[in-house]
Amino acid sequence: MTTGTPEPLLALSDINTFYGQAQVHFDLSITVGRGHIVCLLGGNASGKSTTMKIILGLVKPRSGEVMFDGASLIGLTTPQIVRRGIASVPEARRLFADMSVRENILMGAFVRNDRDAVAQDLDRMLTLFPKLGQRLSQRAGSLSGGEQQMVAMARALMSRPRLIVMDEPTMGLSPLYVDRVLELIRTINQEGVSVFMVEQNASLALEIAHEAYVLQTGRIVLSGPARTLKDDPRVRDAYLGGSEAA
Amino acid sequence: MSSWLDYTINGLIVGNVYALVAVGLALIFGVSRLINFAQGSIYLVGAYIGWVAVVQLHTPLPLTIIFVAVVAALVGVIIERFGLRPLQNSVRIAPLLATIGISFVLDQLVMLTFSPNPRALPSQLPDVRFQVGGGTIGPLDLLIAGVGISSALLLFVFLRYSKLGWAVRAASQDRDAAMQMGVDVNRVNQAVFGIAAALGGVSGLLVGMYYNQIDTAMSLQATLKGVVAEVVGGAGNVPGAVVGSLLLGLVESYGVAVFGTSYRNLFAFLLLVVVLVLRPNGLFASARQAPPEPLTGTFIAPSRPVRIPRWALAVAVAAFAILPLLPVSFYILQTLINAWLLGMLALSLTLVAGTIGQVSLGHAALLAIGAYTSALLSLTLSVPVGLAIVAGGLMSAALGTILISPSFRLRGHYVSIATLAIGEIVSLVILNWESVTRGPIGISGIPPLSLFGYDLISPNSVYWFSFAVMVVLALLQARLLGSHLGRSFRAIRDDDIAARAYGLSLNRYKSLAFIFGGFAAGVSGGIAAHLYSYINHETFNTQQSILALTVVILGGLGNVVGAIVGAVALVGLPEVFRIAAEYRILIYGIVLLLLVRFRPQGLLGTI
Ligand SMILES: Nc1ncnc2c1ncn2[C@@H]1O[C@H](COP(=O)(O)OP(=O)(O)O)[C@@H](O)[C@H]1O
Ligand SMILES: [Mg+2]
Repeated sequence: MTTGTPEPLLALSDINTFYGQAQVHFDLSITVGRGHIVCLLGGNASGKSTTMKIILGLVKPRSGEVMFDGASLIGLTTPQIVRRGIASVPEARRLFADMSVRENILMGAFVRNDRDAVAQDLDRMLTLFPKLGQRLSQRAGSLSGGEQQMVAMARALMSRPRLIVMDEPTMGLSPLYVDRVLELIRTINQEGVSVFMVEQNASLALEIAHEAYVLQTGRIVLSGPARTLKDDPRVRDAYLGGSEAA
Repeated sequence: MSSWLDYTINGLIVGNVYALVAVGLALIFGVSRLINFAQGSIYLVGAYIGWVAVVQLHTPLPLTIIFVAVVAALVGVIIERFGLRPLQNSVRIAPLLATIGISFVLDQLVMLTFSPNPRALPSQLPDVRFQVGGGTIGPLDLLIAGVGISSALLLFVFLRYSKLGWAVRAASQDRDAAMQMGVDVNRVNQAVFGIAAALGGVSGLLVGMYYNQIDTAMSLQATLKGVVAEVVGGAGNVPGAVVGSLLLGLVESYGVAVFGTSYRNLFAFLLLVVVLVLRPNGLFASARQAPPEPLTGTFIAPSRPVRIPRWALAVAVAAFAILPLLPVSFYILQTLINAWLLGMLALSLTLVAGTIGQVSLGHAALLAIGAYTSALLSLTLSVPVGLAIVAGGLMSAALGTILISPSFRLRGHYVSIATLAIGEIVSLVILNWESVTRGPIGISGIPPLSLFGYDLISPNSVYWFSFAVMVVLALLQARLLGSHLGRSFRAIRDDDIAARAYGLSLNRYKSLAFIFGGFAAGVSGGIAAHLYSYINHETFNTQQSILALTVVILGGLGNVVGAIVGAVALVGLPEVFRIAAEYRILIYGIVLLLLVRFRPQGLLGTI
C-alpha cells in the first residue's frame, strides 16, 4: 500500500467465483474509495449480482480477498458483515411483502439497539422520502415499484451503514422514479455513505458515479473515473447510444 | 345420545389440540420450507414427560405445563442444532429424511424407556361437567381452550412486538433479505424449533389428559393430523394453521357423529388429499403467493455409482441360488426370504423415489393392495396362487397409480405428504370395508404359495421362488432404466420444468413409474400374504414404508443393485449381530440419520 493514497473502504482482489463447474468471476478486482460512488456496469449474466453477493457473504468465492475498512470479510457470515457497516438494496428490492412499510424500514435497523436514535432516523427517512409518510401502515407488497424502491433505500439507510451496495436500483422504474432514485443516491452519498452500485443502464449510472468498472462475462475489461469512461468509445459502443440493448 | 352441540364442542377442543401442533409446523415451514415429521414425536415426548411430572413428581397442573413446555423446547432446540443445521447445504430431501429418522429415534427411545403399553395420564382436574345449552363442558375442555387461546395470543405478541419475532417473520418471507438486514437465520431457526416443540409437547400432554391415556402410537397420528391442518390452512401460514386445525377438528367430530369412530382418520386424510389436489396452497393462501417451494437445490446427492461388473453380479446370483443346497440353517433362509420380499419393495421405491424423484412415504399401501387382492382371489374365488399373486401385482399397479395420480402435479415435500395420506387412506378403507376385507378381523387361512399345482411349503422352495421373482423384477427394471425411459425419468427428477419444456409428459412418465413400481410392490405383498397365511389392516404399515425408504437410501437412490444390497444389509445385519427386535427400529432410524448426514449417496451411489 502506497502511503499518500488513503486506504479504500472496500477492496475486492483477485476474486474467482464458481457455481458448480461454471466460473463466474475471473481474477476480479474492484476498489471503492471512501465517500465515493462506484458503479459496476455489465450486460446480462456478466456476474454483477454475484459480485454483490460476494461482498455480502451470500456467495463464497473460491479464491481472492475482500477487505472492508482494513479487515477481511472472508469467512464472515452475512449478518456479521452487515454489522460491520454494509447495507444492501437487493435486486428487485426484496421487501418483506407481508410486513408493513414501517416494519420494513425498521427491519433495516435490526442490528441496532439504540431505540431512540432509531426512532429519530425513521423520522429522518420520512423527510428524505416524504411519499412514504402516508404509506407507513400499508403492506409493503401493495406498493408500486418506485415506492418499493424508496422503502428499500430507507431500509438500507436505517442501519447507518458506511457502505451501501445496490443491485440495479433503477430496474423496472418509470423515468420519473429513475431520476428520483439517482438524485437520492447522490444525496445519500453527500451525507457520507459510500455507494457501490451495479447497473445495466450505463449512461445514467455514469452521471452520478465517481468511478466505474465494466464487467464482461466475469472479467473487468475497463475501469476508471466515470467522466473518462463516459466519453470512452468502447463504453459508448457497448452500452450507450445506439446499441443500448447489448 | 350426544347432542350436536357436544360434537361441536368436541370438534373445537380437538381442533385446539391440533392447532398447537399445526402452528409449530407452520412456523417451521415458514422459516425453513421444511415439513417437520418429528413434530408428532415431540408431542409424544411431551405426553410422557407430563406423565412423569404428574404421576412421579406430583407437580401441580400449572407447573406440569411449564415443565413439559420447557423440556419439549429443549428437545426441539437440540433437534435443530444437531439434526438439521448440519444439513443446511445438503440436498433437497435431506432435512425431510432427517426429521423422519429423528422421529423414529425419539419414538423408539420413548417406547424403550416407558414400554409400549398404554399408560393412564390423570388430568388433575375435578371430573365435573357443566350444562351449556344442549351440551356439556368440563374443566379440561376449558383448560384446553384456555391453553390454545393463550398460546395463540402469546405467539401473536411475540411475532408482532419482539425483535426475534420480527426476525422470524422477516426470515419466513424472504430468508436472504432477512440475512441482509443482519438476521441470524440459525438463531431464528432455533427459536422456531423451540417454540414449535414447546407447543407440540403441551399439546401431547393435554391430549393425554383428555383421553386419560397415552401410548407410543400417538406420535405418527399427531404428525399426520398436524400436517393435515397445516396444509389445509396453507403451508407456512400461522393463522391459517389455527383455522385449518379447528376445521379439521369439526370435520372429524361431525364425521364420527354420522359414520362412527373408525372413520375419524379417513375424514382427515380425505380432507388433506382434496385440499392438496384442489388448492395446494391451502384454503387461505392469497393469490399473490407463488406456491411455497420446498428447499431448492439438487434433488438427490449426485455421485458416481459404484460399477459392479456383470460377471460379479452373475456370480452373486448363482451363489445365492445354490445357498439352500449348502448346509445353512432354516433361520438364515428365513432371514433371506424376508430380505428378498423387502428387496422387491425396495426395487419399487427406488424407481419411484430415486429414479423419478417422487419420495413416497406410503409405499406399504402397495403391499397391502397386492396382498389383499391375492389373498381374496385365492381364498374366495379359488384362483391358483401363482396367478393370484400376478393379479395382486396388476391390481397394485393399477389402483396405486390411479390413487396417486391426482397428486402428480405436486412437487417435493408435498408428494411425500400426499403419498403418506394415501397410504393411510388405503389402510383405513381396508379397516372399514368389512364386506370385502373383513375389517379389523383380517383374513386368515390364506392358502400357501403354490405354482402349477405344486405347493411351495419347504423353506428351500419358498426361498427359490421369492429369490427368482426378485431377480426377474430387478432384471426388468435394469432394462427399463437402460432404455430412453430411464433417461426421461431422471430428467423429470432433476428438473421437471425443463423436462416439460423438452416436451416430456410428466403425467405419463410418472404413471409408468408407478405402474412398474406398483407391480413389483404388489407382487411382494402377494407373496407375503401367502407366506404369512394371515393379514390385517396393520400388517403393512408406515413403519415398513419408512424401512423401505431407508433401504433405498442405504443402497443409493435409483440404484437397482443397491436396493437389493440395502435390503439384505438392513434385514441381515440385525440378525448377524443378534440385535433384539425392540431395538431394530431404533437402529433403522439411526442408520437413516447417519446416511443422510454422512453418505447421502448411499453404499453403491445414486444413479
Ligand atoms: N445460484 C446460482 N447457481 C448457478 N448459477 C448461477 C446462480 N446465480 C447466478 N448464476 C449464473 O451466474 C452467471 C452470473 O449471474 P449474475 O451474477 O446474476 O449476473 P448479472 O447480475 O450480471 O445478470 C449467470 O450465467 C447466471 O446464470
Ligand atoms: Mg443481476
